[in-house]
Amino acid sequence: MSEFNMNWKRRLLLAMTTAVFVGGTASTANAAEVTLLNVSYDPTRELYVDFNKSFAEYWKKKTGDTVKINQSHGGSGRQARSVIDGLSADVVTLALAADIDAIAAQGKLLPVNWEERLPDHSAPYTSTIVLLVRKGNPKAIKDWGDLAKPGVSVITPNPKTSGGARWNYLAAWAWAKKQPGGSDVTARAFVTKLFKNVPVLDTGARGSTTTFTQRGIGDVAISWENEAWLALKELGPDKYEIVIPSISILAEPSVAVVDKVVLRRGTKKVAEEYLKYLYTPEGQEIAARNYYRPRNPEVAAKHAELFPKLELVTIKDFGGWAKAQKEHFGDGGVFDQIYAQ
Amino acid sequence: MKIRRAAAGASIAALLPFAGVAFAQSATTGDSNADLKREIEDQKQRLAVLERKLEINDEAAKAAAASAPRITANASRFQIGSTDGANFIRLRGTLFADARVYGGDSAPETADTFLLRSVRPTFEGTFGGIYDFRFTPDFGSGRSTIVDAYAVARFKPGFAVTVGKFKPSVGLERLASEPDLRFMERGLPTFLVPNRDLGVQLSGEIAGGAFAYQVGYFNGVTDGQSSDNLTTPDVESDTGGDYAARVFFQPFINSANFNLRGLGFGVGSTWQDLPGSAANPYLPSYRSQGQINTFSYRANTATGVTPNNATFADGERLRLAPQLYYYRGSFGFLGEYTQVKQDVSRTVGAFTRSDTLTHSAWQGQFSWFITGEEEAYRGYTPQTTFQPGKPGNGAWELVARIQELDVDDAAFAGGATSFANPLTAVSKITDYGVGVNWYPWNTVKFSLNYDLSSFEGGAATGDRADERALFGRFAINY
Repeated sequence: MSEFNMNWKRRLLLAMTTAVFVGGTASTANAAEVTLLNVSYDPTRELYVDFNKSFAEYWKKKTGDTVKINQSHGGSGRQARSVIDGLSADVVTLALAADIDAIAAQGKLLPVNWEERLPDHSAPYTSTIVLLVRKGNPKAIKDWGDLAKPGVSVITPNPKTSGGARWNYLAAWAWAKKQPGGSDVTARAFVTKLFKNVPVLDTGARGSTTTFTQRGIGDVAISWENEAWLALKELGPDKYEIVIPSISILAEPSVAVVDKVVLRRGTKKVAEEYLKYLYTPEGQEIAARNYYRPRNPEVAAKHAELFPKLELVTIKDFGGWAKAQKEHFGDGGVFDQIYAQ
Repeated sequence: MKIRRAAAGASIAALLPFAGVAFAQSATTGDSNADLKREIEDQKQRLAVLERKLEINDEAAKAAAASAPRITANASRFQIGSTDGANFIRLRGTLFADARVYGGDSAPETADTFLLRSVRPTFEGTFGGIYDFRFTPDFGSGRSTIVDAYAVARFKPGFAVTVGKFKPSVGLERLASEPDLRFMERGLPTFLVPNRDLGVQLSGEIAGGAFAYQVGYFNGVTDGQSSDNLTTPDVESDTGGDYAARVFFQPFINSANFNLRGLGFGVGSTWQDLPGSAANPYLPSYRSQGQINTFSYRANTATGVTPNNATFADGERLRLAPQLYYYRGSFGFLGEYTQVKQDVSRTVGAFTRSDTLTHSAWQGQFSWFITGEEEAYRGYTPQTTFQPGKPGNGAWELVARIQELDVDDAAFAGGATSFANPLTAVSKITDYGVGVNWYPWNTVKFSLNYDLSSFEGGAATGDRADERALFGRFAINY
């Protein structure tokens, strides 16, 4: 009797354990509809509306499954913080690699070598920083140097919360350093003067665009190239002009799958395919249509008129993101020092 | 008329010198206007910047509020949680300070006592909106035990998994939480069902709660007991496990019919093959409503040698517990019947007696909020609170109960070889109880219960004397 009972006891425990896991996984096993959350930065709203639609069609055709991609946008640094704090992003498409580095280092949600997992160190498209001025360019803004002149009001977001703002800051720094007699000391002095002309710091690039275009504040907005083109397209070329500075920076927005989230949600495969699709001719075309510089040479050639050639420094000129982040944007860094003055 | 002309001429003459000045200034008017325009533009920009800064501050405040933890601390709850409510930790607790007084000779004088019946802080919470936990120790009655310690995964409304130490789903009144009990002590049927046990349970509610089920597998405990009462607390003590199942129906819970919404009925059951021995009998004892021991099986009488003549569980134990409640407005009724069939044996010398005993108990309890509050199986909300010097008397409730516990007569058959001693163990308890509850605050309750229990057997001659028990309680249920 005892042995019989023991067998039944074990069988029942096994059956209940199985039932737990079957029940627990049922919601994912039978799901023909998959959802992804793409946590991105401010100006990519329009890009990913286009891209998500295209990918959903591609995925449906390829697998028969329906994929719905939810989007979350905000200042890149703030978005990274949200993911570290628990926002369940399947993929992150942020303004700069440093923000994804933070997710890897502080959140331990993906490996630190995430950049190596996709081509072009996981930056499928690029952009740069330009100057957006009001029609007729009343303050005669021609280059970075004009932004530090007295009486010029400059709009740029807060580098502490916005990835775009960090690119803006570094582009201005690079210009100053490349001027005759330029050095880190003169660059710092220039950027200090420039930020004295900034009346308001938005948390993200889209907020800055709103400040400049809708609230009518400022003479010039330092802007992502794609955001400047979008302003022209949406609000009319009769209201704004784009000024291409003599020097700018190659902005490389980065993308990555958030491993811990996709493993937990069972969305690894679709999330990986989602990012790979950015590199396909279709994905590159969508990027170009939304004023992001495509990596694909053929697609880039097709849209060459949108993307004028100019001298571009890269983040490597600043020693890489880890160094630049700590030196310029970390707590007590150069930006904190000059903005406190 | 002349006077008017003269005055006009004087006025013009007076203005002439100024006309020359105005002409002289006309050359600089254009510059002044431009300055003025610039000044206005500057002021407009400053105003726009200030407005935008306010907007940004407002957005930042909203974003910060959205991600800030929510702290709730009010008269009935202390909780810290995330904004979306999916994650929280809650602090709760109960404190029951009792007084017990007995009349007549049915209880020794030492039974009159003050007692901390329940001192239970509870930590509970939820993670991800799905995973719950609860931890409740009890420091009442001079003991330190873990009452509840379990985790729940609520995968779907119809499918949840509970693992740990908790109440196996069998008895209706046993499943009610302590603060929701209408009497200070649960009724006699509760003595026949398990209290707390370690195990795993699958459960769910279907059709908006119209149907609920629980299926579980537990270590197994004797009637009315918790696994902390075992010789080695909270571990398996035998080779058998207790299979438990319960179904409960509330067919009108989602109905607009006010008369039937409060109807619920169901049945719970457990089964275990329990191989006891004289050394480990695995058999229960029962108490009266006044919590005085009234029934025990025969224990070992040999001293200094291996115990050899105690009655012990020797085979199947099947509990069956049909149950019902009905609540309508200020009135409530809870009724349940519990039967336990237990295979037992006893060896006295060379003679072994075996039998299947059937014990049963039932109760019907009535409750009425005379101040108009709504009766329910779970919870109560006083319409007014009592605070000295302010209007309001809190909620007042009257309760009454009739109940019986009947031990199988076969337990007493066989003279010296019987399973239970008829001279000390009663064969039947009939109890009438009344009480009043006062809820001056939704977390505070004062109770007064009076129970009159009569017994069959359990005395050297005739029946044990009636038990008159007056219990009082001051309860905090946070």
